[in-house]
Amino acid sequence: MASEEESAVKEPLDLIRLSLDERIYVKLRSDRELRGKLHAYDQHLNMILGDVEEVITTVEIDDETYEEILRSTKRTIPFLFVRGDGVILVSPPLRTA
Amino acid sequence: MANNPSQLLPLELIDRCIGSKIWVIMKGDKELVGPLRGFDVYVNMVLEDVTECEITAEGRRITKLDQILLNGNNIAILNRHFMCKLKKMRLHEKDIREELKS
Amino acid sequence: MSGGGEKGSMTTKTPADFLKSIKGRPVVVKLNSGVDYRGILACLDGYMNIAMEQTEEYVNGQLKNKYGDAFIRGNNVLYISTSKRTLADGA
Repeated sequence: MASEEESAVKEPLDLIRLSLDERIYVKLRSDRELRGKLHAYDQHLNMILGDVEEVITTVEIDDETYEEILRSTKRTIPFLFVRGDGVILVSPPLRTA
Repeated sequence: MANNPSQLLPLELIDRCIGSKIWVIMKGDKELVGPLRGFDVYVNMVLEDVTECEITAEGRRITKLDQILLNGNNIAILNRHFMCKLKKMRLHEKDIREELKS
Repeated sequence: MSGGGEKGSMTTKTPADFLKSIKGRPVVVKLNSGVDYRGILACLDGYMNIAMEQTEEYVNGQLKNKYGDAFIRGNNVLYISTSKRTLADGA
């Protein structure tokens, strides 16, 4: 019973609590995405992530054809503090019951 | 201010709109129209049978929504919806914007 | 009973009432950026932080992503809507 209570999602932040020490996906403002292991977080959604892969997507306009070109830049960061106000969405890994 | 009986508080004005159609202009190119069901002190609002109008790169997009909770954060102007059809609204807003600029 | 259909007798429905009535139901969450999220509303809090299940991400009406669970930070939320919805593009 106790473990059932622990894993219950009563408020949205519980979803984050249940993702501690798991790899999560974070969507940030200005077309940035992160994937990394969640070490810690607070109520503002400030987060400490480890082994992070960051993907930045930029749109460029081709000078001649005026086509939009999506370009994504990847980099890895061993340890990262994310300030909560930039966060749009957090998705935990798929949980198994 | 509080002891002036003729003074109508802003939130009282909104309270009088409950049950009638209200026209909401958001910051940015977005407007919503629908009957107001309720609101709170942040002017988050519950609206019904909403018509949403937004200006996108591809043109104007109209969305119908059943019942919504609108975040009060980005609301610019509220207007009781008397006479204007959605088509005309743009003109009104343009006028309002120009007035604000001058 | 949360009578959703009665339009004649217009009773007040505060944001809190609305939030209570939509838990566990399919919803559309629109962000200020214009992105839509459709899914089942698991729960939410006073900041409009939202937890959703079976979430689909739509950009310009096109499905872009799916998430099993998703947490949406409340400051980005423009509105939360019950899910019955039609789209008509105007000129």
